[in-house]
Amino acid sequence: MKMTNSGNREQGAEHVAAQVVTAIAPAQLTLAEVRAKLEGKSGRRYWKNLDELAETPGFHEMLEREFPRQASEWVDAVSRRGFLKVMGASLALAGLAGCTKQPDEPIFPYVKAPEDLILGKPMYFASAFPFPTGAIPVLVKSDAFRPIKVDGNPDHPMSKGKSDAYTQATLLDLYDPDRSKEVRLRGQPSEWADFQQAFSTAAKKMNGGEGIYFLSETITSPTLAAQWRQVQAKYPQAKMVQWEPVNRDSAMAASKAVFGSYMDAQYKLENADVILSLDADFLGGIAQPGFLPMATAYAKRHRYEAGSAMNRMYAVETMATVTGMKAEHRLALKPSDLAQFAALLAGGGEAIAGSAIGQPAQSFAAAVLKDMQASAGRCVVVPGEQAPPVVHMAAHALNEQFGAVGNTVVYTETVNPMPSEQVADLKVLVSDMNAGKVQWLVMLGVNPLYSAPADLEFEAAFNKVPNTVHLGSHVDETGAASVWHINRAHYLESWSDARAYDGTISIIQPMIAPMYGGHSSHEMLQTLLDDPQVSAFDAVQANAKTYIKDADFATAWRRALHDGWVEGTAFTAATAKSLPSAGPMKGNNAEISVQQGGVEVVFKPDPSLYDGRFANVGWLQELPKQITNLSWDNAALMSLATAEGLGVNQSDAVEIEVEGRKLVAGALVVPGHAEGSVTVHLGLGRRAEAGRVGAGVGFNAYYLRPSDAPYAAGGRLTKTDGIYDLCVTKVDTIEHRGAFAQQDLSDKEFDTQGTYSLPGHEAMERAIIRYATLAEVKANPNFAHENEGDVPGALINKVGYGPEGEKPAHDSSFFPDAWGYNHKDVSSQTVQNKWGMAIDLNSCVGCNACIVSCYAENNIPVVGREQVKIGRNMQWIRIDTYFEGDLHAPRAHFQPMLCQHCENAGCEQVCPVGATVHTPEGLNTMVYNRCVGTRYCQNNCVYKVRRFNFLLYSDFDTESLKFMRNPDVTVRSRGVMEKCTYCVQRIEAAKIEADKNNRPVRDGDIVTACQQACPTDAIVFGNINDPKSKVAARKATERDYQVLADLNYRPRTTYTAGVINPNPELA
Amino acid sequence: MAQVFDRSSNALARASLVLTGLIVIVLGVTLDQLQRSPWVTRQGQRADQPVPFSHKHHVQGLGLQCQYCHTTVEVSSYAGIPPTKTCINCHSQIWTNAALLQPVRDSWATGQSIQWIKIHDLPDFVYFNHEIHVNKGIGCASCHGRVDEMPLMYMQNSLQMEWCLNCHRNPAANLRPTGQIYNMAWQGPSTDKPVWCAPTGKGGATAQSVDCTTKDPAGGNPELAMLQTAVKSTAVSDVDPGAGLAMPEQYRKFTSQMDLGSYLTAQYHIRPPNELTSCETCHR
Repeated sequence: MKMTNSGNREQGAEHVAAQVVTAIAPAQLTLAEVRAKLEGKSGRRYWKNLDELAETPGFHEMLEREFPRQASEWVDAVSRRGFLKVMGASLALAGLAGCTKQPDEPIFPYVKAPEDLILGKPMYFASAFPFPTGAIPVLVKSDAFRPIKVDGNPDHPMSKGKSDAYTQATLLDLYDPDRSKEVRLRGQPSEWADFQQAFSTAAKKMNGGEGIYFLSETITSPTLAAQWRQVQAKYPQAKMVQWEPVNRDSAMAASKAVFGSYMDAQYKLENADVILSLDADFLGGIAQPGFLPMATAYAKRHRYEAGSAMNRMYAVETMATVTGMKAEHRLALKPSDLAQFAALLAGGGEAIAGSAIGQPAQSFAAAVLKDMQASAGRCVVVPGEQAPPVVHMAAHALNEQFGAVGNTVVYTETVNPMPSEQVADLKVLVSDMNAGKVQWLVMLGVNPLYSAPADLEFEAAFNKVPNTVHLGSHVDETGAASVWHINRAHYLESWSDARAYDGTISIIQPMIAPMYGGHSSHEMLQTLLDDPQVSAFDAVQANAKTYIKDADFATAWRRALHDGWVEGTAFTAATAKSLPSAGPMKGNNAEISVQQGGVEVVFKPDPSLYDGRFANVGWLQELPKQITNLSWDNAALMSLATAEGLGVNQSDAVEIEVEGRKLVAGALVVPGHAEGSVTVHLGLGRRAEAGRVGAGVGFNAYYLRPSDAPYAAGGRLTKTDGIYDLCVTKVDTIEHRGAFAQQDLSDKEFDTQGTYSLPGHEAMERAIIRYATLAEVKANPNFAHENEGDVPGALINKVGYGPEGEKPAHDSSFFPDAWGYNHKDVSSQTVQNKWGMAIDLNSCVGCNACIVSCYAENNIPVVGREQVKIGRNMQWIRIDTYFEGDLHAPRAHFQPMLCQHCENAGCEQVCPVGATVHTPEGLNTMVYNRCVGTRYCQNNCVYKVRRFNFLLYSDFDTESLKFMRNPDVTVRSRGVMEKCTYCVQRIEAAKIEADKNNRPVRDGDIVTACQQACPTDAIVFGNINDPKSKVAARKATERDYQVLADLNYRPRTTYTAGVINPNPELA
Repeated sequence: MAQVFDRSSNALARASLVLTGLIVIVLGVTLDQLQRSPWVTRQGQRADQPVPFSHKHHVQGLGLQCQYCHTTVEVSSYAGIPPTKTCINCHSQIWTNAALLQPVRDSWATGQSIQWIKIHDLPDFVYFNHEIHVNKGIGCASCHGRVDEMPLMYMQNSLQMEWCLNCHRNPAANLRPTGQIYNMAWQGPSTDKPVWCAPTGKGGATAQSVDCTTKDPAGGNPELAMLQTAVKSTAVSDVDPGAGLAMPEQYRKFTSQMDLGSYLTAQYHIRPPNELTSCETCHR
């Protein structure tokens, strides 16, 4: 764990001086200041982080300096010398490079070229990414048989081409240089055949396999289940335990209790007018089953479009999530209250005796129930995977009561062919291990030494097992301690099959031969069967005959591989089962004993890293987490009031104690977090075995986690000495601001409405975020532009806003068609292309999928924690989160911000070497070769979307990463500026194809990487000159607006103002 | 005290002023010439290849078509370097014992690639694309020179950016009918050798949009029928002589390359120079 325990600024500075790149001591936020400032302030106001709300001196200092956190680098003697040294070397190299010739480049042609391969043209293959909540169907872009991009499979009936951050990032997971490369026996290199021999021989000696225990990750593969049944037939005493640290036990337990058997719920949000989320983060990522169809359907119904009624969402949750922030009405409750609230709803809103539910929650419940009653049959309650079973049972009862079953929710058999309650099974396994019953413990893709509940003392039990086998992609915590370690093949390297959320089976086919000769779970189970040499391919194909019913199997098999899914395998809705009548439900599993003065400690999978399996994926580590914008860290997340009650300030080190186990973490205040509780994210704090990226980042919350209360436990929080300098990316966007805005801060008399926070000031006064309620937009469809003219209250009267308002006139130019983008082709009379993008703020749910997709498509480097801390992260697209309103119950707005490709771009005008220029089609291009790194362009960019390679961030050396690069995009070196290109490589490829055929580029030929990944279709790209294009249609709507339009940069990216549909009763 | 500097120093000082200027100019000119020189560009140099492959022998002597080896030139950014299999197609039958071909046989036997040295080697930040050039009327010889007359392969042109831009600023100077792409000996029309062209009236790919002939269509040219091409195909060479016999009528006679070039620029919808010279055309 990284911990700055000094708490002493001098000491900290000394430590810092030794580095080339320095970090400044964290700005200490005093919550009392925030509180004082907030007194008496009301109205719609926005803010991005708490420092600015408090107006701390440190914050002002940062505003006034151009690159606040880098400034000290130049005055510090040591680092200046270091800089000169580095610069000297690079100048010498630059001089040399000018005098040398290009080295001879060899060509290695094929000996026999593969059939169908056209070098230079990518190929696409369908497959699926197996994930415990259901496989994600993918279409993999393959360049000369190297997978270089993973995207959703557009032909799949469930996902329809959408994808998410994890799925996108599996590409880097494949090429992770720290992957395990060999079979190991007690740490020494060994052979797969030796393992097979040892295991199968030992198994035969055991009485019916007694003593063989498999500990597997959640199974979604029908073939693996079939293989297990074969193993069981041969060794009836062998046992299979499925367990993952983040599992679906609550849903399974509730379904068993309600239906008598394990069932999955599938939600049909396209039919829902009213959605109630009970701690379900179904817009956050695939950690919630059904994320892709649910997010798509939610966004489709949430758009304000003619002919479709807008949905309305209520969210009750503990930790602020993107789902809660997208909800029209959100109630923050700590876990124990949340369970009682669910019971309250199921009981028809009658307060239960002895319940701690307060009046605001009761009136919330009454309003929700009334709304659901009014839209019976068109409403749905979605329980969260980490909510206790009682919440799931309440959701089932409510869905039954309001006629949701069959309309907005259907119950089906489970995606997991062998459903179970995993923690209970693990407990039995541990007691068997302790009792010495376990001779062989074969772990398939799990890492229990890192992630098992701490109170089970798994490691002690593990050490009592004579033969431990670990199948894993890395020699991780468990792999290093196991007798045998088998290197696992990545899903992009192996054959398998898996069920998606809707039950559809996809065949997983390898995209590349196993790079390190890895093995899969199929081969592990096959080892015990009669013919251990049967490959995963044979096993999958043999089992596929059970679900591919076609008479012509060979053709149907090929079609399944081509399409990426097997027709007719989707689940059908189960016939209605008897449900318990809705009545007061006692929380049997939700009792959380909190001692006097204690808090409820909530455990959630990390929004970026899930349960820790992605810890060594740099793209995900660096990804700013949803809501908190934490990167390379986790923290004790709590509300302002809770922090205040404990006397804790932001970035203070706090000690969290659960059942006597203690851990130190940094405190981070999250707007909208439930009071009386603290959330910690699982999946960080990996040990050195995790790899070069994941090792030692954050703290391991599994250490606190009890097996009986895996998602919320009573605990205690105390302030300790020291500060933990958390890595939050938000502050990097405040590098500098215009003089107007600073004036507004220093001269309060201009500020008549209390919008004193700077980005908040800009979000509102400069109308960066625009939205209206449904009633408002009906009354005034042009609300996004109502303040543009010279009218009272108009934007031009606000401080910092350009005197010409939204549509300033063009400067006069010598060139007659200087601003024209309407040239016609002389022979065909077709108008030229004019590229543009439109982003719908109503649809954007802030899930981060676009950022990871951009990483993969554009060869964006990972810079590391220290660099992110000083604002040097390289993501070309970021999601700006603007909070609004009450600090305790805020609303949030997500705004993807990327290069706006301004027609009148400030960056182009200040570049001394013409390295950033405008193309005739209106792209703002970066010419890396010309760039000399003055960073003037970055200075002059009002959207703060340019990224500079301060150091050599791109990895030019690691062999495995070279395979991953997109060959159509330059890998940038040190000293050059870069930024979003609108995926110019895709534009050029589409243009070449169109030009060859003498036709215009059609709408939809060009899909940018962010647009492709977006599960909610928030991003649309195309030719604005084509009136039939989607982007032109979006830009023609009244709600379309430009950010900072008054500056006359004329951005090509525009935003569609949001519309929300609040319940008047709760407004 | 005696004067430190003699009167002759004045002359020296003046001379050194002039000399300094001269040195700067000479240095500038030298460096400028140096970076354009074959020493830097490798223009005209014959690299030391594992097999002394003769394009002259195979193209001019044997009449092999370019695409027999460079198979993907019309459909991909890479023209394609032939796999060993392509060599072995013939050389398993002829010259099976030639010492020069030992590396080819070794490659075939061991499965290891023949390691050639790249002659036309653009910098890595240039994204050149063969298919669009070939499909829009730029012949092989326009860039690669008379490959059919090269016993050993070398680079005819500098492939420097100024050379690329020369054409991108004025593509008409080098455009030829797509039927003549692989014609190494093609020369633009002149008064002695005019070219007649007519639009086919069909849409679709560039290759099918214009008919050109070097024989007067009015004079009952028997080859003309063979030049009619089908619309359905998008590749230059996928000519189906049996299809599309509709005879275009509007033949125009061209006697200079610039006339033909500007005609083809319009017919082939070549993008205007400002788009062709835009940075993102070649750099990403």
